[in-house]
Amino acid sequence: MTKLLFNAAFGFYAVGLFHSVVALVSKRNLFYKVATASVGVGFAFHSLFIIYSGIERSHFPLTDLKESLAFFAWTVSLCFLISYFRYRINPLGIFLLPLVTVLMLGTVLIKSSPAPTVLSSSWIYVHTTCLFLAYGMFFVTFIASFLYLLQERELKSKKPKILYNFLPSLLQLDDLFLKFLVSGFSFMTLGLLAGVIWAEQDWIQGWQKDPKVVAAFVTWGIYLILIYLRLTVGWRGKRAAIISMAGFASVLFTFLGARYLGGLHSFL
Amino acid sequence: MSLVLVGLSHKTAPIKIRERIAFSEDQLSSALTRLNQEFELQESMIISTCNRVEIIAHGKNNQIEVVDSIKNFLYSYHSLTPPFLEDYLYIYQSHSAIRHVFRVASSLDSMVIGEPQILSQMKQAYLLAQQAGSIGADLKSLLPRAFFVAKRVRNLTQIGTSTVSISSVAVELAQKIFGDLSEKSVLLLGSGKMGALAARNLVDSGIQEIFVASRSPENSHQVALQVNGKSIAFDTMNKYLTQADIVIVSTNASSFLLQPSMIESSIRERKYRPLFIVDISVPRNVDPEINKIDNVFLYDIDDLQSVMEANLLERHQEAELAEEIIDREIDNFRERMDTQRIGPLLGELRTHIEKICLTELKAHQNTLTEDEYTRMEKIARKTAHKIAHPLITGIKNQDRNSASRHRAIKMILDIFQQDPQK
Repeated sequence: MTKLLFNAAFGFYAVGLFHSVVALVSKRNLFYKVATASVGVGFAFHSLFIIYSGIERSHFPLTDLKESLAFFAWTVSLCFLISYFRYRINPLGIFLLPLVTVLMLGTVLIKSSPAPTVLSSSWIYVHTTCLFLAYGMFFVTFIASFLYLLQERELKSKKPKILYNFLPSLLQLDDLFLKFLVSGFSFMTLGLLAGVIWAEQDWIQGWQKDPKVVAAFVTWGIYLILIYLRLTVGWRGKRAAIISMAGFASVLFTFLGARYLGGLHSFL
Repeated sequence: MSLVLVGLSHKTAPIKIRERIAFSEDQLSSALTRLNQEFELQESMIISTCNRVEIIAHGKNNQIEVVDSIKNFLYSYHSLTPPFLEDYLYIYQSHSAIRHVFRVASSLDSMVIGEPQILSQMKQAYLLAQQAGSIGADLKSLLPRAFFVAKRVRNLTQIGTSTVSISSVAVELAQKIFGDLSEKSVLLLGSGKMGALAARNLVDSGIQEIFVASRSPENSHQVALQVNGKSIAFDTMNKYLTQADIVIVSTNASSFLLQPSMIESSIRERKYRPLFIVDISVPRNVDPEINKIDNVFLYDIDDLQSVMEANLLERHQEAELAEEIIDREIDNFRERMDTQRIGPLLGELRTHIEKICLTELKAHQNTLTEDEYTRMEKIARKTAHKIAHPLITGIKNQDRNSASRHRAIKMILDIFQQDPQK
């Protein structure tokens, strides 16, 4: 059952990605609607998959890399759907859906590994869910700032071409950027707090020196600086885009890179 | 169908010729009646706009005579002497006339390709011709088809999507920066006409707040009244630079009114919220270096012009796509017309064969009883039907577009149309 649900979700995501590309090439907006609808259906199957595998294993399915890739894909498609319905920015799918598809593919390819016993605390649900939601939102932030940069360049060049019509207005992108930045940051703060409480409660020694923890706090710091500069000085455009790219690179390192340095999180 | 189109447009005739043969709306109905009656046309319709005058007609006579009739009508109606119009008129017949009507309706023949007015003008002309009773079955199928094709072209191509005038390009750029304009404000510097026009356009697109500053307070008040804005003192400009989102500069100063240092400090104060500056003064009143400042977008009159030209170019590319659509639609239309015209011919063929059989039977009526005669009549009709049926299906199955179908029908009709008695 879970396998079937997962495959259905994967299939619909792939169909969604395919239609986004078709829409981009054929310049027909109708295909974006098909793409979104398809991702919506995929998301529904994906949610069912998560619920079913949770019941099957009688724990929240977020304990190894395989499961967390799938969960990350779920949060990214959730972010895609939220941003689409809030902002109607068609080209977002072009950027967000490939990540979803790659994450799903990664899930298929990676073998699952048994979770260590330390993960018995219920804090894990808050810790991981919040962090993955934050990562998904930071990805949207990253894409929004990248699109802002593109549109800004088009407008500055004074020779707006195809991109110009294809992208939404600067202010819309800025709004998307700010909202996802702030919500992502809030979720990350919550997630980190939950992790710290959990570590303190369970007397886990040396969590402060764990590579993943250090990387996560560096990432958190980068986004804190970005929010500060955006809200006080008003940094946007190129400068904001650069920091937001650095932030997301740090997210990727935290998520995928830090595990190779060993430590408490090395099972992930 | 001996369809003929005679006309002239901005492409073939200058305005001073076009205005000589234009028809006003009140003239049209009587002109159409006269055209049909005096000049022996079966159907006629006149399209008269500031860019074109065209007469589409369908006559009893052959096409050359129809063309002459239309020309004579134009000369006599507008009291001109030949060959005054000869150099300017174009003439399209049958296939090419259909193409021309489709292209005009789809706005491919317009001065600004893709402009939407021509379609409504044609619809108006069609309505008038309908009211005047000057059109029949052929034009009543051609024109609605042309309107359908025009709609299809508009839906399937981007021909009408980009903006092609200076002030609408400015509005479009503003929307690309700010999205919804209703919360934004405009600072209009100077009392130039173009500036006021651009401001007016922005108001139409939802801008609520306009500040007007000019060196002479009197002018500033006057323009403020025009654009429904608020007049401010010229030396408070700096304060409004931090507040307004769009600045339109249209003064006649001989030097740069806005300097990079001014904008740099105001953009910092605005916390880098984007600022859109439109400089439509000649000579320019805004230092072009300002465009290099982050989050400031400066467009002068040449920049707007080049965006407009790029949009026009895009329309021309889309026009190629439109031509393909029209090609396909012409084929479809001809096929429909063909089927429409073939129907009665086939009916004629059937009754003709039946008539032959019944005539033969009638010759022997005296030798038969009434009962026998009714039975024989039934048999004769059945026989006629059995002869006609394979002929008709044979013709219908012929290649739809080819002339061979026509030839086949004509040949069969010719064979049967010879007097059955002989």
